Amino acid sequence: MPRLHRLTAAAALAFALAASAPAAAAEKKPFFPYPMKVDKLPNGLTVVRVPFTSNGMIAYYSAVRTGSRNEVEAGNSGFAHFFEHMMFKGTKKYPTGEREKILGALGFDDNAFTSDDCTIYHSFGPANGLEKLIEVEADRFANLEYTEPSFQTEAKAILGEYHKNAAHPELKMEEALNATAFKKHTYGHTTIGYYDDIKAMPGKYEYSKSFFQRWYRPDNVIIYVVGEFDDARTMELVKAAYTPWQGKAAQVDIPKEPPQAAPLKVDLTWETPTLPRHMQAWRTPAAGLATLDGQVQTVLGSYLAGPTSPLYKELVLEKQLVEQVGAPYSEHRDPYLFPIVALLKDEANRAAVDAAIDREVKALADGKVDKRRVADIRANIRYTFLMSLETADDVAGALAYTGAVYGAPDALDRYYRRFDEVQPQHLVDFAKKYLTEKNRTVLTLKSRAAASQPEGK
Amino acid sequence: MHALLVPLAAFALAQAPAPAQTIDVVPLRTPPPLDTVLLPVANKPIVSFRLVFHSGSVDDPAGKEGLTNLASDVMVQGGTRKLSSSELLEALFPMAAELDVYNDKEFTAFVGRVHKDNVDKFFQIFTDVLLEPRFDPKEFERLRSDAMNAVKNRLRGEDDERLGKVALDSILYDGHPYRHYVGGTVQGLQSATLDDVKAQWKRVFTKDRLVIGLAGAVDEALAKRVKDRLAALPDTGAQRAKLTPVPRRVGQALVLKKDALSTAVSMGYAYPLRRGDPDFFAVAFALSYLGQHRQSQGVLFNELREKRGMNYGDYAYAEHFAQDGWGTNPRTNVGRTVQDFTIWIRPTEPQNAVFATRGALHFLQKLVDKPIPKDQFDAARGFLAGLTRVWEQTDQRKLGYAIDDRFYGTKDFHETFRQALAAMTPEQVQAAAKRHLKVEDLNFVYVAKDAEALRKALTGGAPTPIAYPTPKPQDVVEEDKAFTGRRIPVKADAVKVIDAQTFMER
Repeated sequence: MPRLHRLTAAAALAFALAASAPAAAAEKKPFFPYPMKVDKLPNGLTVVRVPFTSNGMIAYYSAVRTGSRNEVEAGNSGFAHFFEHMMFKGTKKYPTGEREKILGALGFDDNAFTSDDCTIYHSFGPANGLEKLIEVEADRFANLEYTEPSFQTEAKAILGEYHKNAAHPELKMEEALNATAFKKHTYGHTTIGYYDDIKAMPGKYEYSKSFFQRWYRPDNVIIYVVGEFDDARTMELVKAAYTPWQGKAAQVDIPKEPPQAAPLKVDLTWETPTLPRHMQAWRTPAAGLATLDGQVQTVLGSYLAGPTSPLYKELVLEKQLVEQVGAPYSEHRDPYLFPIVALLKDEANRAAVDAAIDREVKALADGKVDKRRVADIRANIRYTFLMSLETADDVAGALAYTGAVYGAPDALDRYYRRFDEVQPQHLVDFAKKYLTEKNRTVLTLKSRAAASQPEGK
Repeated sequence: MHALLVPLAAFALAQAPAPAQTIDVVPLRTPPPLDTVLLPVANKPIVSFRLVFHSGSVDDPAGKEGLTNLASDVMVQGGTRKLSSSELLEALFPMAAELDVYNDKEFTAFVGRVHKDNVDKFFQIFTDVLLEPRFDPKEFERLRSDAMNAVKNRLRGEDDERLGKVALDSILYDGHPYRHYVGGTVQGLQSATLDDVKAQWKRVFTKDRLVIGLAGAVDEALAKRVKDRLAALPDTGAQRAKLTPVPRRVGQALVLKKDALSTAVSMGYAYPLRRGDPDFFAVAFALSYLGQHRQSQGVLFNELREKRGMNYGDYAYAEHFAQDGWGTNPRTNVGRTVQDFTIWIRPTEPQNAVFATRGALHFLQKLVDKPIPKDQFDAARGFLAGLTRVWEQTDQRKLGYAIDDRFYGTKDFHETFRQALAAMTPEQVQAAAKRHLKVEDLNFVYVAKDAEALRKALTGGAPTPIAYPTPKPQDVVEEDKAFTGRRIPVKADAVKVIDAQTFMER
């Protein structure tokens, strides 16, 4: 499969941008504007259906609550993603290639991706293929089977994927930032995994099978069906197909990251010419359904570094010190990072850009907050959300990602409706508490040519 | 008119003993000024605007490569007479309104998207962007510097796959207005001035080149408002760029040398086949079977990636392809008078690049030599018919295809495609593939670290067997033997090596 295109932050960011909440929605009215039916089968599998006008199309998502966060054993980074690839390798009933033939002939766009917190399998195609799709999906989740040579060949495809990503500075930056900020927690490695671990993957056949046993269990999965379908008939098919799938997902202790004790810094060099990058990232609390921390960080990202922020106006438009500045925050299940990233036009601008970021953060932490901007950000989030749900595939994607990160089938509604509660003072309090020097990692990237110049030039 | 001419040309090519030395240029259609596509959708709260000008990088004046792209950026980002660039961002932000521009060789699409609550406010801003751009000198400098960085750093240094594709264009269309990168060349952008941008705005964003697309929560009244307002655009501007016949090039190779972990590969050639030609659907189907973009059904994907672990994916294209955002959908409004057939091999380990190339040639040749087996034919046909439905899911995409129809002279492209698929036979597809897909005509681009080794391997003719880390089934081993020594149609004197850091300098 093209399995996985939007690794980690990119995936999370895409969905974070795609989904948000209304400022003016009535309190009791569900925020998500479509009716939703939820059932839990006796084996623990949750099945969510959303009827949606879609010109005869259907989106079918299986959200597994396992991502690179679950990779606790040293040397096995990248396995959640690798395993996502192996899920396309067949079963006894439908050996390698059969799935592609069956779903292909029906006309399904069929793929998957992995992030830090989850793995999402998705198919989008004509509704008349739903019956067969349910059968094939249920079969692979219960009965996946692949040979060692097939596993080893796929490991080479992953290596190819790493190689293509490695041409972009962002992969190296993400690797270095995570490894610097997290020494215990599994967020310390990226979703695709360390290069050395990827190169060693072909020897991990047995481990891969245990990975399936541990995580691909009905109680760890939520299925979303969105589009035009007969609900009763669909549930009948789902029950019949998935009931033989049994077992409970493993419990694993994800190591907790102790509080950061002192400021951290990491400096990177890029071999070919590139624009310098400058990043400040702070350790911040998890997003979740029980707190406002995720919503506050999303609003904070727009507030501090969005296109209408003073920082953007100064650095991008007026002084033109940077090509871009932004805060690509992505919601995580465990405490993660709140980043501000700038793409500098010149290495000489680094100190000024760093100081400007410091100044804006300090002003907010000192209590200076623009209430009108907070209201505008909430309006932006509301309209972004309403406009992001154009197709059945959009709706299923937003539901599945939030469902998997927060572990609740209706998380999209529950999470995004609470953006309404975010007040200007929340931003001040958050900045004061978390955007501190002690909590921060600074990352710099410069190209080899600039790096070889003496300091200060 | 071209519907008649093209099949004749195809026939002539198939029959003639020696192929033509140039690919003739049959102009695209010219829709009437302010031609409008209106697609209202009941109960939809979103309004989509899509203004497509038949103007693109072919309209860049010589020495000012990148000017059309830069002019459109200055229009969309640089503010309007009423709003500075930062005020423009502030006005759009609370509406979460989308305002963007997409550029290609022959087309520029200004795209707007807004919730119906905000349509009046957005309408004013969106039309101001076209009619009353601010042309602020400071914004011009900012966007010109960004455009130069996009070539100097992003294209050359940060995306080997895109670099390979742009470089393939540069050799297929050397000496032709398609040669240069849509984003421009470093020298072309360097010499562009604000006055050039103002002049280009008047020259190419004119009524006679514009098709208006509106979809979603729209009606005739909105269409009239848009048309009335855009009537203020100049009737006409520059003469349409002269698309000279494309010299027919075969057997060239370009190696872009850079410090890379892996080797990116692109291959292809320009050809006259395009939408509207009776063979188009058959060839598009054949190449979807060979390698539909980022899907797992294709022959190349299965043979090179799934069985042999060469790389992350391998795909084939019947017309020039650009991906629409993050997904796998083709971008619309990238139509071209002259099209190209291409194969994309995603980066391989350096020692396997030539083996992967030979594999691609081998599987392409099989497609030409034999009809697709019936069961695979039916599966691939069902897949493509379904995929065409995925391609037309959003209003913007529907508008894009409908507007493309106006230029290609086609009607309801996807429905026609599905009808054509339903009637196709493996023999017809093979015959069309034979007429248009020729291994011998391919040209090659590599982005690689060890350029000299690659040059030797490409032209030396020595077999390039592969060492697999695991045993392979006998059929794979046997098939490998059939192509590890396969001749690569590269002429020994037609391999050029350049430093990636010099690419698209001028």
